Amino acid sequence: MNSSTQALGQLESARSLALGDGRYYPTIIPGVLPIIGPNTNAALETRRWGADFLAETFASPTWPSDAKETCSLTVLPTLRAYLEGENDAGVVKSAVQAAATIYPLVYRHIISTPHDTSNWQLMTAIKSNILRRMDTAPPGVRICCVKFVQQVVLVETPGMVADPRRPEQNDISLALVPRDHPLMLHANLEAEASGLLDRLLDIVHGDHSDALLVTAALNSLGMLVQRRPYIANKILSSVLNFNPLKLANSPMTPKNKVMMKSMERTTRALLVNVIKRNPEGPFTGRIQQYLERIHRMRLDVFDESNRKRPAPVEPTDGLDPSKRQRVGASIPSSHPVPPLPPGPVSFRQLFTLDPNGATAQFDVQAFKDPEQLLRILVPVLQSIDEAKLGNAINIVRSRYLDLSKTQARTAAAESASLNDEEEEYEPDFEPEDAEQIVNKLDSAPPDGMLPDRVPSAPLAPYKLPQAPPLTEHEIQKYGDGTVRRVFGMLSSLDETSSRGKTTKGGFNRLAASSYDRDSWVTILSRLATRAAAGLDDPDEHIKSAFSGLRKGNFSLSESIRSALYNYIMYDWKKRIDVAISWLNEEWYNDRLQADIAKMNAKLAMNGNATNSPACKGNYQRCALRLVDGIIAFAEGTDKVLLRFMSEIPELDRDILQRMKKMAEDPERIDLAIMVLQYLYMFRPPAKEICIEVLEDMWHTNDRAKPSAKKLLSRWRPEVLETDMKMESANGALEVKAV
Amino acid sequence: MSADPRLARSRPQQHQPTPVPPPPPPPPMGNLLSKPGSEGTPDESEQSPAPGQAQVVPDDMFKLKFCTVCASNQNRSMEAHLQLASAGLPTISFGTGSLVRLPGPTITSPNVYHFNSTTYRAIHAELAQQNTQLYTQNGLLNMLSRNLSIKSYPERFQDWVPGKPRLDHTEDQGAPGTEAGVVDVVITCEERCFDAVLDDLHNKGGKLNRPVHVFNVDIRDNHEEALVGGKAILDLALSLNEAASQERGMYGDSGWQGGVGAARQGFDEKVPDILAEWQERWPNMPALWSLAWF
Repeated sequence: MNSSTQALGQLESARSLALGDGRYYPTIIPGVLPIIGPNTNAALETRRWGADFLAETFASPTWPSDAKETCSLTVLPTLRAYLEGENDAGVVKSAVQAAATIYPLVYRHIISTPHDTSNWQLMTAIKSNILRRMDTAPPGVRICCVKFVQQVVLVETPGMVADPRRPEQNDISLALVPRDHPLMLHANLEAEASGLLDRLLDIVHGDHSDALLVTAALNSLGMLVQRRPYIANKILSSVLNFNPLKLANSPMTPKNKVMMKSMERTTRALLVNVIKRNPEGPFTGRIQQYLERIHRMRLDVFDESNRKRPAPVEPTDGLDPSKRQRVGASIPSSHPVPPLPPGPVSFRQLFTLDPNGATAQFDVQAFKDPEQLLRILVPVLQSIDEAKLGNAINIVRSRYLDLSKTQARTAAAESASLNDEEEEYEPDFEPEDAEQIVNKLDSAPPDGMLPDRVPSAPLAPYKLPQAPPLTEHEIQKYGDGTVRRVFGMLSSLDETSSRGKTTKGGFNRLAASSYDRDSWVTILSRLATRAAAGLDDPDEHIKSAFSGLRKGNFSLSESIRSALYNYIMYDWKKRIDVAISWLNEEWYNDRLQADIAKMNAKLAMNGNATNSPACKGNYQRCALRLVDGIIAFAEGTDKVLLRFMSEIPELDRDILQRMKKMAEDPERIDLAIMVLQYLYMFRPPAKEICIEVLEDMWHTNDRAKPSAKKLLSRWRPEVLETDMKMESANGALEVKAV
Repeated sequence: MSADPRLARSRPQQHQPTPVPPPPPPPPMGNLLSKPGSEGTPDESEQSPAPGQAQVVPDDMFKLKFCTVCASNQNRSMEAHLQLASAGLPTISFGTGSLVRLPGPTITSPNVYHFNSTTYRAIHAELAQQNTQLYTQNGLLNMLSRNLSIKSYPERFQDWVPGKPRLDHTEDQGAPGTEAGVVDVVITCEERCFDAVLDDLHNKGGKLNRPVHVFNVDIRDNHEEALVGGKAILDLALSLNEAASQERGMYGDSGWQGGVGAARQGFDEKVPDILAEWQERWPNMPALWSLAWF
């Protein structure tokens, strides 16, 4: 045996050479054949190797089929010898495989060389040997025979001729065989193919316990359907009549189970492949039906939970006619009770058993006298058949149970469906195809959707009850609360955000383009000034008796004003800008109101010329209040006051008089003088007033005299002169001056 | 069935609570065949190996050629690939997905790679750079470093040309015996992959005329299940290989015509029985099977 091991080593190296480059096959085959051939008395191992090698060689995709065709003729004697003189299953299997691959090649060779009788005879001998084996050989060989038969059917049925001018491009099929071929009779080939196809399909419909052969046949049919439309019809009709679950009637051994499942799955794969390749094919509908049916059957067969015999279906409220009759049993309800209407059910509907009966329509309220009703009811109750009443109660009870069950079920269904999804097999390691994810997303409910309500018990439209009207006091309280909240927010925003900003929108700014302090201040001051403006009754002074009641809107403005005031005074130096913008808003609103009043007055002039009520603005009031408040706290060094006085929109005598008052404090004389001087210089309209206030100060405030004198000597020297005169008059006019 | 000595060994395996997933340590490349097939888990070594089921198939014995398939050729098929290759069986592996998908930072944003071109090493590097902590914690990096010791890149089943020599894969674990680019057995790890394999074989048209047993073993896609599933697949593969080598041992008149009963049966016809017995041993992994064609 040493020589055979040595030979095997040589053969193996030749094989690896060919594996490395398929072009070596034509040169290697002639070298190998004498070693593996039938005449050499080769060892079993060598023959096995040889058969495997031949099968592998001609199946290899690494060398062209033209070269294979030439080489195939040289191996025919070897194959025939293997098949005729061999008992080893391994050798025969591989030889049949090789023959299956070679048959189309030889077939094509004979088409082009019609007089090569010897090779065709060899091939025919091989073919009949294989076909003879098909029914008797061990299953391992038979499956290879099945594949061989498939190859024969393939080449001996007409295929599509892609291009008649280039035969080498075409599928090897009956279409290539000329009608007058001396060796290959068209009709014979066709008949043989048809017969072999029947044998193939018979395997599918044959012994179902042999899943090996059945799946082997099914898996070889796919390619025939795909490449031979001519016979696809026949194949598919046959497959669609195949019942892979036939074994379900035999005992459910583990082997039978696995074989049934496998055949079912194999059939499915074949049919799905057919649909996939030709979705518009004539068979698609039938295939889908078949797949559905098989799927249901499989569930029936394999679903272990359904294996138990189901409880017998019996009508609970009657007698099953198919059952032995129980004599003497009374059938409780003769006429059927109509089911409840779908959807929400009223109690009346729940208890009404016969909606068409007269009693259902009867309104008991027609009895005005309860005594009368009693007289009727008691006899009626006495006359009621007990069985009937019990039956009716049972019906209502079952209705009620059904109702409560459906409600519970629909409620539970949602959570149950969630659980189901969780338990579904999710590869936690590797997500599905993108396609699947997209599908899943498509079928998922849109994100924002509320879960469906329980459909059987829809709620009546629910309206919030009307709140009781607020009292004046409550309105005031809640309004104040709201204002307080806004100011709370203001102080939390304080200082940090708005300091950096220098741009001012003025009156035309949007009140709140952002959420900083400025915006809130603007909103507040506009709320205070404009919101209720014009709503107060112009005849307010007349109806003073009711003014307390009518204060509603008006008082909102006032409470905002006082809140603003408090807010500013809480830290007036830092919040002076709030004060200024508030006063600006007040002033602007006053002007607007004045304009409107003027227009109204003009209109009114045409009619009855009543006196237009003098427009009582809020600006002056607020400005005075603020000035008073600030002066109380201002120190001599607080230049902020200077800014305040110069930036408020309108100055009048009353406001400036406060400077005079401030100057009564000797420490703040300079500040007051400074304010007046500044206003004199930069607020020309207020010039006169400034001088008058200063003059007044000069007259009344001795301590302020030196500072005032400086300015007055420039602005109004004549005051100083008259004063001198007065002094020179020795105080005679002093009383007059006061 | 209860008399089956293998039963005793496999039952506790299935029911043992797999604690923390110890992703299998990449075995040393060199002494591949001398190493016991199992990963050397303590419970495995405590129990005496069942008779007749050597963990490593000796080189002078006939060997079937195997192919393991999952969706991305990362977890389940690679775990099985490792176990089969460690048992000395010729093995290749594939994925049937359109792309290699690995978990990303969220469930909807997986990390996606191309088959046949992105190496395990490159994926490892990218994930390590993306978020070392996350991918260490979910075991991805460990898995990838195991994979890169098995072969260089994930391969797609549909792009595989059966019969095309795989001489460029000689460095892969389990490569010896698979040079010709064909296998005798394909084992998928999920029904979806099983369907995809059968469908693709229909599309390929069976040009090789070579039978192939396609199995499905349903394994959930996580590290623990992959480990258990790998053992189950190895069990199946060893049973199949044993039957096949028995057939190989029979010859001529002393072969199928000489024996009686089961002894007369060849490998292929025994497959349903083998699978049924296997299914009894591994009831939690529903199996499918079909004889298809390359």
